[in-house]
Amino acid sequence: MNQSLRFLIVILPILVLVFFTKVLLVDGDIKFSNFESKSFPSFELNDLNGDSVNAQSLDGIKLVNVWASWCITCLVEHPFLTKLAEKNIQIIGLNYKDSDFKANAWLQRHGNPYLFSIYDPRGDLAFDLGVTGAPESYLIVNNQVVGHIQGEMNQTKWETIFLPLITKAKQGS
Amino acid sequence: MIGEIAHFLSLSAVLLLSLVLIFNLSFFFAKIHPNQLILSMRLFNQACWLVFISFGMYVYLAISDDFSIAYIASHSNSQLPIFYKVTSIWSAHEGSMFLWIVFLTAWSILFINSLEKNHPLKKLTLLMLSLIILGFLLFLLLTSNPFERILPFGALEGADINPVLQDPALAIHPPMLYLGYVGFVISFSFITAYLLNGDFELQWEEDIKNWSFVAWIFLTIGITLGSWWAYYELGWGGYWFWDPVENVALMPWLAATAFMHSLFAASKSNVLKTWTMFLGILIFALSLFGAFIVRSGIIDSVHSFANDPERGLYLLSFSGLITLLALTIFAYRLPALNSSKLVVTGSKESFLSMNNVLMITSIFSIFLGVTYPLIIESISGEKVSIGPPYYNTIFAPLIFIAAIFIMISVDALWQRSMPLRALLITMSAPTMLSLLALYLIWQATNIFSILAYIGIFSGSLILFSYLIRAINNFFKKKFINKGSAIAHIGLGLLFFAVSMNSILSYEKNLNLAPGQSISVNESVREFSFNDIRVFKASNHDVISAEVSLLQDGREISLNPQKRKYTIRGQITSESAIHASLLKDTYLTIGDQLENGSWTFSLKINYFIKWIWFSAALMVFGIFLTIFKKKVS
Repeated sequence: MNQSLRFLIVILPILVLVFFTKVLLVDGDIKFSNFESKSFPSFELNDLNGDSVNAQSLDGIKLVNVWASWCITCLVEHPFLTKLAEKNIQIIGLNYKDSDFKANAWLQRHGNPYLFSIYDPRGDLAFDLGVTGAPESYLIVNNQVVGHIQGEMNQTKWETIFLPLITKAKQGS
Repeated sequence: MIGEIAHFLSLSAVLLLSLVLIFNLSFFFAKIHPNQLILSMRLFNQACWLVFISFGMYVYLAISDDFSIAYIASHSNSQLPIFYKVTSIWSAHEGSMFLWIVFLTAWSILFINSLEKNHPLKKLTLLMLSLIILGFLLFLLLTSNPFERILPFGALEGADINPVLQDPALAIHPPMLYLGYVGFVISFSFITAYLLNGDFELQWEEDIKNWSFVAWIFLTIGITLGSWWAYYELGWGGYWFWDPVENVALMPWLAATAFMHSLFAASKSNVLKTWTMFLGILIFALSLFGAFIVRSGIIDSVHSFANDPERGLYLLSFSGLITLLALTIFAYRLPALNSSKLVVTGSKESFLSMNNVLMITSIFSIFLGVTYPLIIESISGEKVSIGPPYYNTIFAPLIFIAAIFIMISVDALWQRSMPLRALLITMSAPTMLSLLALYLIWQATNIFSILAYIGIFSGSLILFSYLIRAINNFFKKKFINKGSAIAHIGLGLLFFAVSMNSILSYEKNLNLAPGQSISVNESVREFSFNDIRVFKASNHDVISAEVSLLQDGREISLNPQKRKYTIRGQITSESAIHASLLKDTYLTIGDQLENGSWTFSLKINYFIKWIWFSAALMVFGIFLTIFKKKVS
């Protein structure tokens, strides 16, 4: 009785540890890779320069970043996006519930990491996309939404969530 | 610059603690040099002070709006009052982990310096504490560095604290909870040191008793404040949701409560002594498990921080390491600990042990409730959720049996069996009175719910037992332990209030346009939506409804609000609450409908105040116990 009790005291916590390690390592991976991809909603809108844009502009691997001039966190992640743009990551802005005048002024003041910014003052496209607020970032591969990050984009999130997906997409094509 | 200095100080603390460990381990088998402990103590104290100063500087950085620090930039804002600039530090993972470590360090330095100069367990305790602090400091600096800068240029403005966290109750809820959690590092380290040392003639209970009681008080206050905050600020309308993170706080609380009880009885029986040691280890292990659940993000919950497998893995392996270390030593020493002095059946300590078993059963049930969804998801990929019905069904019978044992143990004696006649006399009065109370409640409300009635009956049993004992004490001068009596009356009241709340409370959803009024039921005869106003406050816009109620013949005016925070764009809802002795009138405003009317949710919550009051009684009772003169 005493022997088996001693054995249990040590074995039970080990079992718990093994189980949680499995949850973290194996199931955690499944959680990330099982993001249901859906196609980017179709749209007909203008960009901030007044040129018309649609879903065809989203071929290849693109990062769609939801931003606005009223959004403080967008300013926080802005330097990181600029760094990404310098590394030739193609970033497309989705200017969300903003005025084009304020948005353009904001870009002039802080720099423009975007190829272009879709102007979505009423939030129609954002609604179709399922945006909950700014900032948010979507990873688009050939018109398919394959990844999604809510809130501030930073080095860690980029490396742990989007970068593996990009590598996967590049291997697939 | 200050950020770098603070970072450097924390790193230096890591270095000093490593020195303490290496230095002592290398001398482990050698003869102890008289100065070895003195030097280790100095190094340890200095390491602790480095952590404190580093945290102090971090607080300064937060107050002075240094948004080049990434963590401060994403959780604070220059517009915030200074109070919330400070509390924003523990509004997310990195900063709160830092605070957690500061408390860990504070408990450790206070305890180790309170031990006599040549206490035989001092060196081993010091080693355990150094190891634990070192492990968590490394976790902080390696996986969740709060000092990280945004380079090359800092942010101009911070991203603001989450508005639901801008509340005084929440500002002190995490610190209290952490103080409770990490306070049990003392019993953990000291017991492990005792087991390692192997001299079982030593008395260890008195050295950690009061420390554990104080930690228990903090833990209880922390949990109650969290519940209070969910009720008043989050607008959830309830006080307890069996949320995984609430559960992982409840587990160490139950273990700590069992620990306190068995500490009392440990001096009466060696069997209980061994059991008490196991509990002392278990509490801190469960606290660490809680930290892992919250910070690894493996469970989705309002409390959980970002999902990061790397952090989870570090926390799991380190917590696992020290828990296994302690448990392995415990298992190794087990045969030497057991002795012939058994628990006398029918004695006070026997009932106390029974309740200890019940508390362990409830810990196990909660543990199962928390992990079961993960197990199922891991095996079949399906998502299941375990909610209040599971916990209510499990807890009702446990509480019932526990209440009976508590009732009997009031009159039971230490180390002596209780005669059957005395047992029946003890049980008769509280049982009769509780049945009467149950009957009266049934007559008054006409509601029957088996689980709630079990709860009410159990609560009343405890209440009446201690009240009778108190009356006996007053008239016949029978001995009463005041602290214990007050704490148990608090517990009885808690069971009673929670059960009454569950059968009496109700909710009505209403649709009204401004200027309209309707009659809700016999209690709320008139509900008038007088006006709605929109105005600007310092950092948010407000929509405020003016509502007046005619409730139980009295006029009440309520102003539920919706706030839109300008910086984050987040919308929060501020419920209006009118509290009276028995019930809270809890009104929340919803959305505007297309026809211009607004939705309201009117909740009538009974006995809520009693729940807070009963928690306060428990805390006060334990507080008295700490200052009680020793009787033996």
